[in-house]
Amino acid sequence: MSTVAAIDRPTRTATIAVMGDLAIPDAKGLYDCLKSISRRRDVRTIVLDLGKTERIDGAGMAVVSLAHRIAKRSRKQFEITNVDARHKKALELNAVAPTVHDHAETPPTRIEVLGTHVIEFYDGVLASMKLFADAFRQLGFVIVGKKKLPKGATSGFVITMGIDALPIVCMLSALLGATLAFQAIVLLKRFGAGQFVADMTGLAMVREFAPMMTAIVLTGRNGAAIAAELGTMRVRGELDALDAMGISSSRFLLLPRLLALTFVQPALTLIGIFVGIAGALIVARLSLDLPMSIFWARVVGRVDMMDFIHGLTKSFVFAQIIGFTGSYFGMRATADPSSVGNAATRTVVVGIFLIIVVDAIAATIGSLGGSA
Amino acid sequence: MKLDSMLLCRKLAVGYSEDQPVLSDVDLEVRRGEIVALLGGSGSGKSTLLRTITGLQPPLAGGVSLLGENMYELDDEARRMLLRRTGMAFQQDALFGALTIQDNVALPLRELTKLPEPIICEMARMRLALVGLAGFERRVPAALSGGQRKRAALARASILDPEIIFCDEPSAGLDPVVAAELDDTLLRFRDVLGITIVIVSHELESIRALADRAIMFGHGKMLASGTLPELEQSNNEEVYHYFHARSA
Repeated sequence: MSTVAAIDRPTRTATIAVMGDLAIPDAKGLYDCLKSISRRRDVRTIVLDLGKTERIDGAGMAVVSLAHRIAKRSRKQFEITNVDARHKKALELNAVAPTVHDHAETPPTRIEVLGTHVIEFYDGVLASMKLFADAFRQLGFVIVGKKKLPKGATSGFVITMGIDALPIVCMLSALLGATLAFQAIVLLKRFGAGQFVADMTGLAMVREFAPMMTAIVLTGRNGAAIAAELGTMRVRGELDALDAMGISSSRFLLLPRLLALTFVQPALTLIGIFVGIAGALIVARLSLDLPMSIFWARVVGRVDMMDFIHGLTKSFVFAQIIGFTGSYFGMRATADPSSVGNAATRTVVVGIFLIIVVDAIAATIGSLGGSA
Repeated sequence: MKLDSMLLCRKLAVGYSEDQPVLSDVDLEVRRGEIVALLGGSGSGKSTLLRTITGLQPPLAGGVSLLGENMYELDDEARRMLLRRTGMAFQQDALFGALTIQDNVALPLRELTKLPEPIICEMARMRLALVGLAGFERRVPAALSGGQRKRAALARASILDPEIIFCDEPSAGLDPVVAAELDDTLLRFRDVLGITIVIVSHELESIRALADRAIMFGHGKMLASGTLPELEQSNNEEVYHYFHARSA
């Protein structure tokens, strides 16, 4: 395409003649030409001459449509001349498209955006409480035998959420215990109190590190998996199908996962405690030449049943957090596939945040009660 | 010089295993400005054929000449360039859920052209208005009905003014009014923009309203080809039954 722009000074009219195709590769040239002419003060009327124009495609039509608006904005008249029947048809498509957005939505103001976020947060809290209440109601029905869980689902989840996670939990616990021992030995040796590494690592693994580390691993592994799985079911319409059949999704989907986690989380925490202490024991043996029997005797002498109850109670609460966040975000996914990824991400972020908050609260209560 | 034959398949076999092709010995030609319907029962291989024609599934045998180029003899870049001159509206709209409708339609323009943003937005807005979606630009696909999503998919498929558009079941699952509107849009694409259209469909009403010619598939081969009245009076029992099953 080539454009020829001529300005007739007496009539203050700029005529742009378009020669050749007015298509995607050429649209920018005409658009720039129109913009530059619209800025001229010595032009009152812009005329687009299509007499020698061959083909007009979507981009060409868009430029013609924009030309109307550019001219209007710069308070100039706009005309199109020498339109043949072929071009008329194409430009008539333009008439199909309303230039004014009759029922277009106006962008929301900042206050509206803030209000939307507040309402969404309130809705979210309300929905999570409803889910929580419904899950416990359904658990009650299952306990009294009025309803039953899907056959084999819970045991299946125990395998996928627990037994399959065992290697990673053991490996990380051993490394954590060993790292803790390394750090403690450096400090304690200065005071000639190297053997206290057993007391410290034993207590730390039982009360804090094993429950917390297992919870974080399971949030990333099982929480995200629950969210992705339920989110995909939402996208595929499976959750709607359950609702339509009158089957409680809390009982059918949430409870088996929650019960499996309730069993798996404390069990993995317990294993993590012993593997972590074993890691510390190996480091103490190698670094301090501390006999294993002495190490173990110090751990048993320092860690009592209350410490175990503290650690395992936390792991029970963490299991509920992981199960509920995963299920909540998964079930709230929309039909949009990207919401599945968002649900998994939110589960991990919110899950870990809540776990740390609960852990901090438990540590504070423990220290106030004098058990820390 | 403008090419007359937009699509040419010779001795084409399509499917997922050479032992059991879904369709074989397919000879078909689509000429500029035609609307051609590919018909057949469920599992007859129409959609697989469409996937092969649009470069998504290599043929088991034979060749596909699209816009004068033998598609499966081209290297990847040349094939991409060729496919930019075509449009495809998928059965499941295939809109990007994270993008607004306007951004979905504008995507090919933003990725494949150097047009300034105002022209891109105007083109997307006009094309959405053309398919009856003016005012829906800022919505995400999840906020639209099935019919609206199909129309948005059609707007995206046509935004680069392709020479040929392939539509897989464009009016499936739509109510008769929306389906008729979609048919009108397709006719406008052909009549005003000069786009050649190949449709895979089960909807006889739509096909009667749109298609210049139809090609019928069944039992792993082409059963018949011709205008709609010709097929409706076909001597082939299966073809005849396809068109008269409801009235029988």
